Amino acid sequence: MAAGENIVTFLAQQMIAAAVPLVMAGIGELVAELAGVINIGIEGLMLTGCIAAYTAASCGYGSIGLCAGILGAMALAAMFATVAVSGRADQIVCGAAINILAVGASGTAWAVFQNWRQKHDMSVSLPHGAGFHKWPLPFLSRTPFFGPALFDQYTLCYVTILLGILVWWLLRYARLGLIIRSLGDFPEACQAAGIRVRAWRWGAVLFAGGCAGAAGAYLSIMRTHSFAADMTGGQGFVVLALVIFGRWNLFGLTAGCLLFGFINALQQVLQTARYTAHNRLLESLQHIPFQWFQMLPYAAALLALAVMAKNRPGPRALGRAWPPETPGE
Amino acid sequence: MMEIRNISKRFGIFRALHNVSMRVQAGEINAVVGENGAGKTTLMNILFGLLPPDAGTILFNGAPVRITSPAVARRMGIGMVHQHFKLAPALSAMENIILLAGRGLISGGRRLVAARAAEWQNRLGWRLPLDEPVSRLAIGQRQRVEIIQALCAGGKLLILDEPTASLAPMEVEDLFAALRSLAASGTAVLFISHKLAQVTEICRRITILRRGDAVYTGELAGLTHAMLAEKMIGGNVPQAISRPPPPVGGEARLALADVTVKREASIVLHHVSLQVHSGQIVGIAGVEGNGQSALVECIADPTLPAAGKMTLSTTRDSAPQRTGRRQLLAIIPEDRRTDGLVPGLSVTANMLLKRHHQPPFARWGFLRFSTWRSFTLRRMQEFDIRCPDLDTPVGALSGGNQQKLVLARELSDSPEFILAVNPTRGLDITATAFVMNQLVRARNAGAAVLLIHADLDELLAVSDRVAVMYEGQLSDTDWPHTSRESIGRLMLGVRA
Repeated sequence: MAAGENIVTFLAQQMIAAAVPLVMAGIGELVAELAGVINIGIEGLMLTGCIAAYTAASCGYGSIGLCAGILGAMALAAMFATVAVSGRADQIVCGAAINILAVGASGTAWAVFQNWRQKHDMSVSLPHGAGFHKWPLPFLSRTPFFGPALFDQYTLCYVTILLGILVWWLLRYARLGLIIRSLGDFPEACQAAGIRVRAWRWGAVLFAGGCAGAAGAYLSIMRTHSFAADMTGGQGFVVLALVIFGRWNLFGLTAGCLLFGFINALQQVLQTARYTAHNRLLESLQHIPFQWFQMLPYAAALLALAVMAKNRPGPRALGRAWPPETPGE
Repeated sequence: MMEIRNISKRFGIFRALHNVSMRVQAGEINAVVGENGAGKTTLMNILFGLLPPDAGTILFNGAPVRITSPAVARRMGIGMVHQHFKLAPALSAMENIILLAGRGLISGGRRLVAARAAEWQNRLGWRLPLDEPVSRLAIGQRQRVEIIQALCAGGKLLILDEPTASLAPMEVEDLFAALRSLAASGTAVLFISHKLAQVTEICRRITILRRGDAVYTGELAGLTHAMLAEKMIGGNVPQAISRPPPPVGGEARLALADVTVKREASIVLHHVSLQVHSGQIVGIAGVEGNGQSALVECIADPTLPAAGKMTLSTTRDSAPQRTGRRQLLAIIPEDRRTDGLVPGLSVTANMLLKRHHQPPFARWGFLRFSTWRSFTLRRMQEFDIRCPDLDTPVGALSGGNQQKLVLARELSDSPEFILAVNPTRGLDITATAFVMNQLVRARNAGAAVLLIHADLDELLAVSDRVAVMYEGQLSDTDWPHTSRESIGRLMLGVRA
């Protein structure tokens, strides 16, 4: 925290920075779920995005890293779609398998990558210029309070905002949105309209994969410029919960992501402040292990889910394979 | 325009269609009739690309075609109104229409489609709330949305699978007028029905299916209803059983006094008063969506909030308080698959649903499956329910057999009050006659029957008294001293 900076602005900026990957992955997951496919492997997709983006960015170009993150996660999503959409397998089981696969594969890939770099006397860390830096928007970033919070961010933040507006508009006003919503509500309606249910669900799953990959890339080559095993730390699962929390609505989802991001920023501030601030109350927090602080946003997400998600069923055909086992009577 | 030659289709050893040939010409209204299980729906599914035929060819404008999916059918210009609705409940009616009739991914021709929908509504004289989500529409309204949807999609061939099941007589006339003008403008119409009166009114050529065979294809002229029905059934048409005049001074079993029900700030039942006496069938006519479902819920579940008074009386006082109400009431619900049966459970379990915990079906808290089975077997014989065996899941039975099972369960301990809602929906001639005869038999035995039915003709055939429901209000008629037409007008809110 730079001296003299307004604590509120700092919190807002950190909140948004933490919320960006959640919103990005959430948009994809939301579209997939509205189309009737629940992919609990989103954590694994994000992790794949992290490692793919990081290793590819080592060539020196961040944009290649970003593309690799997106494509890597999409490849894994394609695996999921092959089994769960084309193969009509249980979506939850497939999603769990994707998670397990991604944890193992990314760990192995990371070890191989490190070995290979060391063998050739190359640094494991990203070469200069390969990681993204913040891109403050001219003028806008200088407006008081909102400026630094909203417009002094990584490029992906702005992309996320634009993508969110686009997806919201499409879902609400375009025939494409009608197709997606009816896929998850009553696929029979799509079939009768001559819309190929499985092909469209494939598309939705790939889109979700791309979004999760971009979110993963954000974590490894934008926000941190580093990779660590399991670095998503359950954020993919938080996204799943927030989609439910937001009642399958983009605004609800965003609100949930911001809440999560806010508590995350708050716990960071508290962790630092208890050693630096001269305040009896804050100093008394010094005895609490830091893990308790890290836990806060997750606990808050869980609590919010328990309070908000009552009696609200999701899309009617969510998780149901197409075509149904026995063609209707 | 479209011709099918020697189409056959088998499901395992079941022969659904066997060498069926027929022709549909542009500008003509053709009918396909047949009992349930005769192969009508299979044939339509083949024409719409939902099922591949095992053998045979389809010619479209003289050239052989393979309709491999509904998308292909739509591109060829084939539209279909399905018997089981294909509307997404979470979308509004208009959105469903755009989904089907629109093109492209962005606007989908929204304006154009909306204008066409409005035009068809005008032509048919309908005023559907197209911006409501389909889940809030009554079944009759959904049916009309499906018709508008298919009409908006336009095309060269329009297939209508039982489109009139829940329309008022005058609305059927409007629909027929629209179909005639559609045919006059060059569209071929294929009309599937088991209502012979409607078929003879509107169609020129007819194909009769019986157990997968086309037993007759040709001109309708010169064929009487009786001849058609005989060809359809392949035997004698079941006769309605006799109905002696109702006993005078039967006790009132159900009495509603000034009942008003509000739902989401709108009044769905408006000061309804009604009495049903024993030995009497009271019919409630009306287009669906005029408060019938609220009336049913209000009778079936007295805990729902309602103003006014409802009493259900009985001569039996032995019924234990706790289970009493459900025992007194025999309910034949509108949607047997969600409210009447548990599709995943066996025939036996469904037959015992109301009584499984009572002696002799259970003792000391243990279920006695041997008595279940013998009871179920007896009932199945009595009601002519056909199924492979007692453990078959009910969802695998045909609609007619499912409905017979509901009847067998509900009518088995001679109930004093019967509430039947659209009890013949989706049933064929034989099954319909059977269901109606069972209701009359129960009435002759002294039961009070409240029959809420969208099919006016069937309703009038069995009712001792008829009232009409329109926008939540109930108006009595002095049937049988009033005409069918005046009741039809009341159904549309037109006072004589």
